[in-house]
Amino acid sequence: MENVLQVILVGILVGGLYGLVALGFALINGVMRFINIAQGSFIVLGGFICYWIVTLLHIDPYLAIPMVMAAMFIVGIILYRSLFSPLLKYPKAEMRLDKSLLLTFGVVWMLDNLEILFWTSNSRSIITSYGFGTVQVLGAALSYTGLIGLGLAVLAAAVLHIVLTRTYFGKHVRAATEDAGAASLSGVNVQRTYLISTGIAVALAGLAGTVIVTSYSVTPGGGISWLLTAMVVVTLAGPGNMNFMIPAGIILGVIQSASTLFVNPAYQQPIALIIFLLIIMFRPQGLFSKGVKGL
Amino acid sequence: MTNNWKKLSISTVVLIIMIAVPMIIDLGTGIMNQLVTLFIYILLAEGWNLIGGYTGQINLGMAAFFGCSVMVTHFMWVAGIPIIVSILVGSLSTIILAIIIGIPTLRLKGMYFAVGTLALAQALQVIMQNVFNRSIAAPGNFVQAYNLSYRYYLGLAAVVLVLVAVYFIRRSKLGLAMVSIRDDEQAAQVTGVNTFKYKVISLLISAFIAGLAGGLYAYFRLFFYYTSDIFSLTWTFSAIMAVVIGGGGTLLGPVLGSIFLVILGYIFSLTLGQANLIVFGFLFIVVMLFMPQGFMGGADLFRPWLSRWRKKPGPKKSEAAEPANN
Amino acid sequence: MLEISRLDVFYGDLQALWDISISVDEGKIVALVGSNGAGKSTVMKAITGLLKPKSGKIIFRGNRIDRLPPHHIVEMGICMVPEGRRLFPGMSVQENLEVGASPASARKIRSNTISWIYEIFPVLKERARQQAGTLSGGEQQMLAISRALMSNPRLLMIDEMSLGLSPVVVQDLSKIIKEINKSKKLTILLVEQDVQLALSLADQGYIIENGRIVGQGKCSDLLCDAQVKEAYLGMGKEGKTG
Repeated sequence: MENVLQVILVGILVGGLYGLVALGFALINGVMRFINIAQGSFIVLGGFICYWIVTLLHIDPYLAIPMVMAAMFIVGIILYRSLFSPLLKYPKAEMRLDKSLLLTFGVVWMLDNLEILFWTSNSRSIITSYGFGTVQVLGAALSYTGLIGLGLAVLAAAVLHIVLTRTYFGKHVRAATEDAGAASLSGVNVQRTYLISTGIAVALAGLAGTVIVTSYSVTPGGGISWLLTAMVVVTLAGPGNMNFMIPAGIILGVIQSASTLFVNPAYQQPIALIIFLLIIMFRPQGLFSKGVKGL
Repeated sequence: MTNNWKKLSISTVVLIIMIAVPMIIDLGTGIMNQLVTLFIYILLAEGWNLIGGYTGQINLGMAAFFGCSVMVTHFMWVAGIPIIVSILVGSLSTIILAIIIGIPTLRLKGMYFAVGTLALAQALQVIMQNVFNRSIAAPGNFVQAYNLSYRYYLGLAAVVLVLVAVYFIRRSKLGLAMVSIRDDEQAAQVTGVNTFKYKVISLLISAFIAGLAGGLYAYFRLFFYYTSDIFSLTWTFSAIMAVVIGGGGTLLGPVLGSIFLVILGYIFSLTLGQANLIVFGFLFIVVMLFMPQGFMGGADLFRPWLSRWRKKPGPKKSEAAEPANN
Repeated sequence: MLEISRLDVFYGDLQALWDISISVDEGKIVALVGSNGAGKSTVMKAITGLLKPKSGKIIFRGNRIDRLPPHHIVEMGICMVPEGRRLFPGMSVQENLEVGASPASARKIRSNTISWIYEIFPVLKERARQQAGTLSGGEQQMLAISRALMSNPRLLMIDEMSLGLSPVVVQDLSKIIKEINKSKKLTILLVEQDVQLALSLADQGYIIENGRIVGQGKCSDLLCDAQVKEAYLGMGKEGKTG
């Protein structure tokens, strides 16, 4: 019984991270109808940036978060300026989807191999003095890093929610998401809104990378794996449901974790694939959607 | 009509050269290896082009179909079944995968197909890493009996067959449906096209062609150090790269792109080493942004120049005589 | 206030407007009428910056606006109520209004403007927290007009207000439009298929047909004009109606 509880709690911790990983991807997909295949690679990049900041400046990785996020925000701006804004000339959503998919696929290629070139293909992780500590909850051991990760994920999702609902910028984002042309006609600078949204999305990737490099490790080329997680979580949550990323992530985390009771833990990705297939076959609108539309 | 005869005669001449030259001159293992690799890339690219370029569905899991066929072909062949049968069975096995992933995802609009194929490829890679956590090698007698020319001619035959098949598919009802789906799926549905059916058929054929590539690879390479490399994303990327650079939605685009890829890859591996993949990624992005039609599209830019240069009087007449190439 | 001179507008290679000249005087209600496909929406798109004209000028209060992006034009004081309303359906009535107050100058007086809106359209106040997509057609049009008013415009443009609405609702809206024009001295440009409605509401009118201006003048004169009557008002020698 203890084993089951451990597995579920661990699944929740991991699931929080999954939700965080999905947030940035969902933001770009929801607002601009682009698919950022490179989101996973940006997460890895964020992890590496954190690693180098910690290694060179000897500060706590969690203190490095603002720096990492600022750097990644700039990366997001570059991404938007160079690749996304040329795609705005295509009014059809499918074209934007396809072109952004292919373009960001190229970015993955460049980025992953640049990382291998500069930093070798070895994994990196950050061990903090408290990194191995655990908290005992009802007989299950929860790692500090995992708890911090979950906390950061929930915090990020909450902040994002507040920004989207209470700030001008957030309302501009939602307006542009619903009808970019009408938003423009209402005086919203849609391009600038998109630009900042992309920056935020990539900054979120940086945050996720920090959590990952402290809890697990980052490997050049490991981005695709995280991207897949993001995509499955987004599918689980349903289209445009930013509010449900963390819950959906937790569901995925718990199912994957529970599966380790029956199956070799290495098979997490096939499990994710099965979940994905089941969702789109039986509930393509996601678990939390009221409507019937798909992505 | 004369245009078609011209194309046919050029193709036949090229084919004859490709058949005859290796028989007459000894090109050396280096070049022969590159040519077989080229054939494999052409097959992968043509396969991707069918579902991606013509039907407009972005497949991120070519590696799954490729790898699956490599494994099936290898084990069948090593078990004693003749290579051509093994390759056919290997290619047919990919259809099972295509059905598993295609049926749920092609029904939906949006990124589901891309996600699904990517997930399939990643899942298979992980499974292979665990199930076949070792190298795979063909037994010694296979190594002894290795004849590179066989690989070359089998590859050439496969490429010719696929090019001819794609040529006819393009002109068939299936081809028309595919392109209409790519251009505007909603409009196609409204005109009565069963878009789901045609997307699935297109995927099955595309998977089969990728399977041919995999089968050829199994015949070509008898030794696989890391089994999971067969399912690596690199195969998918190379296929997409070749199609984008050469020109999606055309018959020869993938061929041109593959040639480009192989030549450039050869040059890069001599000069740049690891950095060559970075350059490819950069090139890919640049081509997508500035030359989205690839080389074949670029050819359209040159055509008015060419015709003006060849026939001095009446340049307008020659432009009118060139129908759309797709 | 708004001066369009000799505008030529293309969709790609296809010419849609030829040599359009329209003048909107301050404080007036001006109508641009024509049948479906005559080019009215194209004129609107050119004014709001969604389309760049190939030649010609659009001058607003002394400034050239034909090359500016849409949000900039809103900041300069022109706001359009789009055809089909184009509200933000997932956002509440209040939020739609708030987005309308995007220009900096409008943002400052935002709460005052909202109070004023709720006075003239009390039903919007009732539904303030309701999602815009759940409103009725007439309410949506009210919200769309209000959203545009939130930007504190000097020139309000309304594209096809009557589309899909019942005559009673259209009547009510027309009264409110006329009222706002008088009390706030707000210049209004109406684009309408319903020629009768537009010409009776407005002071000045322009008639557009196949991308060209074919008639203009005081609305009272246009309403009496025999050709206008025959072509657009369905009253002709043959005795056609509607």
